[in-house]
Amino acid sequence: MSDMNSVTAAEAPEKLSAQPRRGKSDKNRSLAGDAWNDLRKSKIFWFAVVLVAAVLLMAAWPSLFTSADPNECALNRKHAGPSGGAIFGYDFQGCDVYARTIYGARNSIIVGIASTALAGIIGIIFGLSSGYFGGAVDAVLSRIIDIMLSIPFLLAGIVLSRRLSSDPNDNGLLAVILTLGLLTWTSSARVMRSAVIASKSQDYVAAGRMLGAGPGRLMFRHILPNSIASFIVVLTILLGVNIGVEATLSFLGVGLKGDAISWGIAISEGTGFARVASGPLVWPAVFLGLTVLAFIMLGDAIRDAFDPKLR
Amino acid sequence: MLGKSPWKMAVGATAIALLAAGCGSGDSEESTATSNTVSIGIAEPQHLIPTNTTESNGAEVLASLFYPLVDFNEQNEPVEVAAESITPDKTNTTWTVKLKPGFTFHNGEPVIAQNYVDAWNYGAYGPNGQGGSYFFSSIAGYADLQSKDPDGEEGPQKAPDPKAKKLTGLKAVDDSTIEIKLAAPFASFKSVLGYTVFYPLPKAAFSADGVLAEGFEDAIIGNGPFKMKGTWQHDAQIQVEKVADFKGQVPKIDGITWKIYQEDSAQYADLVAGNLDVQTQIPIESLASASADLGDRFQKSPNSTFQFVGFPTFQKEFSDVRVRQAISMAINRQEITDQVFLGSQTPATSFVSPVVAGYRENTCGDNCKYDPAKAKELYTAAKGPAELKITYNADGPHKAWVDATCNQIKAALGVNCTGVGEPKFADLLTKVEKKEPVGLIRLGWIMDYPLMENYLGPLYSTEGSSNYYGYSNADFDRLVEEGRSAATPEEAIAKWQQAEDILAKEMPVIPLRNAQNVFGYSENVTNVSVDLFQKVNLYEIERTS
Repeated sequence: MSDMNSVTAAEAPEKLSAQPRRGKSDKNRSLAGDAWNDLRKSKIFWFAVVLVAAVLLMAAWPSLFTSADPNECALNRKHAGPSGGAIFGYDFQGCDVYARTIYGARNSIIVGIASTALAGIIGIIFGLSSGYFGGAVDAVLSRIIDIMLSIPFLLAGIVLSRRLSSDPNDNGLLAVILTLGLLTWTSSARVMRSAVIASKSQDYVAAGRMLGAGPGRLMFRHILPNSIASFIVVLTILLGVNIGVEATLSFLGVGLKGDAISWGIAISEGTGFARVASGPLVWPAVFLGLTVLAFIMLGDAIRDAFDPKLR
Repeated sequence: MLGKSPWKMAVGATAIALLAAGCGSGDSEESTATSNTVSIGIAEPQHLIPTNTTESNGAEVLASLFYPLVDFNEQNEPVEVAAESITPDKTNTTWTVKLKPGFTFHNGEPVIAQNYVDAWNYGAYGPNGQGGSYFFSSIAGYADLQSKDPDGEEGPQKAPDPKAKKLTGLKAVDDSTIEIKLAAPFASFKSVLGYTVFYPLPKAAFSADGVLAEGFEDAIIGNGPFKMKGTWQHDAQIQVEKVADFKGQVPKIDGITWKIYQEDSAQYADLVAGNLDVQTQIPIESLASASADLGDRFQKSPNSTFQFVGFPTFQKEFSDVRVRQAISMAINRQEITDQVFLGSQTPATSFVSPVVAGYRENTCGDNCKYDPAKAKELYTAAKGPAELKITYNADGPHKAWVDATCNQIKAALGVNCTGVGEPKFADLLTKVEKKEPVGLIRLGWIMDYPLMENYLGPLYSTEGSSNYYGYSNADFDRLVEEGRSAATPEEAIAKWQQAEDILAKEMPVIPLRNAQNVFGYSENVTNVSVDLFQKVNLYEIERTS
């Protein structure tokens, strides 16, 4: 399916002679090494990497991109067109749309990474234990996952984030992270579980067990490292999705709030005036779209590289 | 397979988000389209017991359920409606109200004088905690119905029971005559009787003498042209239907659905889509496009709204008057009315609305003039707080101008200022009543009765019903009281103007703007007018088809 196959099929005569040479030079090539070889050639991967790097840079040092203060707004510039440093113009409150869009990256990235990390931790705990122990533990944990999956996501998100930040004074960052983390771990847990079940029956696990390794050592030293690849892929994609969902919650007024700068809030505020001035709506939406796309493409590319079934 | 599910999730989430945002409550009963009823948008009322209803949403709903003693004509003079006559004695102290015969409550009870007396006693009795209690304070015996908590509201001791349970000044002489003895003469008392808190309550409202029946608030029984259809569906709607052979002025419609919205932009979307018939306040972000959306169904009319922000004067950081002056001077009112409200509101330079007699321009003087340099100087000298916040209710059209105001304050004073949205107006009021540190409070005042006193007494006197900021000034209280007891309206106004001058010096609140009604209606209705009280005239509104 990947270009490697087509190359080998087309250049079949050379294959025989090529094979041993490659095997010799890359003696210790691991799964990761193979994957990296694949990724290096993928245009999608590099496109995603460049975008992700740009967004991360924006989040870490927004002042590299703009010297304007995103909180410096003046009503007399309401909906004014682009000028000087404000290449995207000004919004209703007379704030620099470009500066606010750049500064908005930080909250998105923080929410994305933190909530995905939380989801990952819960996912590892659930997936590893249900896959490794099997039986009753598996049955109980899997049913919990089923129950979580049956809850309508947005409904649960609205209820949960509202409850978690009932104080209108905080900016809702922690509440959004918790909400997303607690609601999105299920897919990673399922992937983890099936990967663990697959590697549990491998010989090296049996060997380890015979040599007297306890469940903890087996799980974390032998099974986990060998089943983590697809799990990481799921998390990368989840990161992109969570950034999008944060914007959704903020748009609905239950995510970030107060003086927090966020793409979701900007889109929500821009919507009301879309017919008067579209810039304050369009630009944060474009940035949000590209960021989500970048992370999902990155995840997709890594998945393609890692998944042996797709080779 | 793996790659797909998150994609689906993202798309699904967006789709739901769009649905949720677009159709606030478009799922109302479709029967409204055929029957002769109209729907009017409101925010969730705080209360519906008349004596506890001091905000405009509840008052609007109550206006359909009750028939007031007096209403106001175009000159803002009181005219008898449910009352046959209202006559004072020579000193304006004892007022005799004669009721028109033949009126009944929605449950069939005849409306008698005792119903008014019972309702007012309930409202005035301190332990009932009625928000409109203040309005009964002019009646003799009011003080005996109140009791002070010996160690404040937070302390462990409970307040002792008040001395009396009934106002000595209220008497039902016979079934159609109420005699009201005031504690002090009040020449304009007749106007006061037009207010929401003076509606009667039927016997069915009380489970025992002076005890309100459980659940009555959700199924109010009034004496008005409409009665409740079902109960108050909180956060959704309140339906009322026409009372058969109503004795008073008969409305032209058969019922009203008061649709409750959490967001006014959702309300506007419903209005444009034809799911809602009347919106009494078009949201700011739609002002620019409203004439295009609604054509001549987008209208303006004067009203009595006075927009201001209050300082919690009980908080130390705002106790210095220079801090309050500085914040006021940091606000460029003209810019906000021009840019945010597109001229649909005007900068306020006084503490009362131009619609009442006794209004003077620019009583606020330099304190309401935009002067960032002087503001900064005063603020620094008084060591004002470095963090400011303005709390507003997110179910009203306030975010845009609160943010703009904050930006102006930030620019002028160099402090951080944030707008904090409370989801509901009712929540905000409850927090403020508990004296939680909410910072500056966004407030608006729509008059209850057309007297200058209504912009002073309830808002700033020590026991005022809407004095949320704990302002207390003995001289001010005395002047308002003297104005009320003055023999002629002119003398009264002179006293009240002196009281206003005290406010201008002390700035317990910052006057911001005088508003007008900026309302819109659907193609289904006609003859829509919104009065000075921001209420739709329910007697004139008609369906087109």
